[in-house]
Amino acid sequence: SLEQSISHQTRKYDYDLVVIGGGSGGLACSKEAAQLGQKVAVLDYVEASVRGTTWGLGGTCVNVGCIPKKLMHQAALLGTAVKDAKKYGWKIPEPVSHDWATMSQAVQNHVKSLNWGHRVQLQDRKVKYLNMKGSLVDEHTIRGMNAKGKEMTVTARNVVIATGGRPKYPTHVPGALEFGISMMKWPHVGLECAGFLTGIGLDTTVMVRSIALRGFDQQMSRLVTDYMEAYGTRFSWDAVPKKVEKLPSGLLQVTWTDTQSKQEHQDAFNTVLWAVGRAPETKTLNLKQVGVELNEDTGKVIVAADERTSMSNIFAIGDIAQGRPELTPTAIKAGKLLARRLAGHSSQLMNYDNVPTTVFTPLEYGCVGLSEEEAERRCGKENVEVYHAFYKPLEFTVAERDAGQCYIKVVCEGHGDQRVLGLHFTGPNAGEVTQGFALGLQCGFTYAQLRDTVGIHPTCAEELTKINITKRSGLDATVTGC
Amino acid sequence: MAQYEEVEVHGYEEFCKAVSERKGKDIFAYFSGDKDEQGRSWCPDCVKAEPVVRGEMEHLPEGSVFIYCQVGDRPYWKDPNNEFKKTLKLTGVPTLLHYGTPQTLVEERCFKADLVRMMFTED
Repeated sequence: SLEQSISHQTRKYDYDLVVIGGGSGGLACSKEAAQLGQKVAVLDYVEASVRGTTWGLGGTCVNVGCIPKKLMHQAALLGTAVKDAKKYGWKIPEPVSHDWATMSQAVQNHVKSLNWGHRVQLQDRKVKYLNMKGSLVDEHTIRGMNAKGKEMTVTARNVVIATGGRPKYPTHVPGALEFGISMMKWPHVGLECAGFLTGIGLDTTVMVRSIALRGFDQQMSRLVTDYMEAYGTRFSWDAVPKKVEKLPSGLLQVTWTDTQSKQEHQDAFNTVLWAVGRAPETKTLNLKQVGVELNEDTGKVIVAADERTSMSNIFAIGDIAQGRPELTPTAIKAGKLLARRLAGHSSQLMNYDNVPTTVFTPLEYGCVGLSEEEAERRCGKENVEVYHAFYKPLEFTVAERDAGQCYIKVVCEGHGDQRVLGLHFTGPNAGEVTQGFALGLQCGFTYAQLRDTVGIHPTCAEELTKINITKRSGLDATVTGC
Repeated sequence: MAQYEEVEVHGYEEFCKAVSERKGKDIFAYFSGDKDEQGRSWCPDCVKAEPVVRGEMEHLPEGSVFIYCQVGDRPYWKDPNNEFKKTLKLTGVPTLLHYGTPQTLVEERCFKADLVRMMFTED
């Protein structure tokens, strides 16, 4: 009603904006809003994991996601580099071994410096930080509860929900909760972890129910797992875990069923790591009671293109929001743009199309745009032209490393200018390679423009500018040396 | 009133000795340019920050240690290879840090009482 709307505008709230969740999205949104003159508070609280672990401000990415993942991936890459180094003339005394505690401490120290950095930044930007578990009383009232059970409430004109997700445990598998530890992000982080664990010298097995990297281009996914198998990671395909038991030796015995042969298998491990997906953190937010609608299947918050929920003053960003990529950069950007809109500075919406990403497995996979199967689904196979090439990074030659899975694929419209729909790259530094091409996709570049670009030599990325063999031709796509 | 130990040291060796003699303790350290006979430091930011830091010391945790360290004269500090820069990785004075953690406040950040208090009171 008009009265309600006037009262909403003139009513005094404790804060212009309260953000529930101090992760990638929540922090970016709150800092931006404060910078634009809004009075902002952010609530962040980490419920201890089943194992009792907890962490500081910054959310999943900083504490238990992207950052530690990439650092440990780097640790593993360095192990490979040490092996390669000998071929390049370095005299390295054997045996070279890896110390988990050293790496773990170094990673934790960096994470803690990020926690501190965020604390200082919030204070600098005059964002009120509350280390409390937030929930909604009504659309303008937020309740916070601290670790000691003390409660308080604050009111806000606008609310942003950015509580992210937590890992799922396969609770139907006896022993899973009791004996296993869990993954924070999915679906690719399970593979990434298996990759770096293998890389630092640990005997690692990946148990896969059906396909790896669901949602990603499946040809590229196979190249990634083929490389991992050649590199030493064991794979149990079509495996469904049945139970986990602790043996007298202290080892964990895992029983699983092969869904193809229907046979049961058992093996013993020191650690069982579950990477079976994440569930949105909505249970304790009290969303339904306040009128915020959730998706029936996923449990995530339903949002419109402007991140608005079913309640006009409540918004959701990041992993908690239905249909959004579970990525840090999209949460950050969406948070900043939302803050600008709420402060009345802009009307720009977040563009979720053509978001580039990289899987940091031992052979990295970078991609932007559509997978081959998605392009064919949307346009029809006959209307899609796929250019591809198997290439060998120069660095692999002296190191005598197999480059069989180093591959590039550019998926284009089959007609006219052949606009690029998707770009896929497996190889070293895939993230660095893909980032620039994401800009090209944003600008709607065509195959001709790609071929017109001069390559930088000698690099792996230049192979993208030289790509010319189509899948359709059936010709050998292996690049020969320059 | 918080009970903490205040230690005054001069130079890198004295600093390290003070730390090694207090193993297991919660140590906060404030690094400042040397003071002259009138008690004024050659470092103007250090002069500005000191009363702010001292003003928050009542929030120091029980049983903690506060080390006030004069690093040396200006030419010593300007040398990029001095031990504070090389080993402790200090980048400027004043620096207030929570020893053994990544928590540091450098230069202008030491002027902010709320940041100083945050360092003294948070994990």
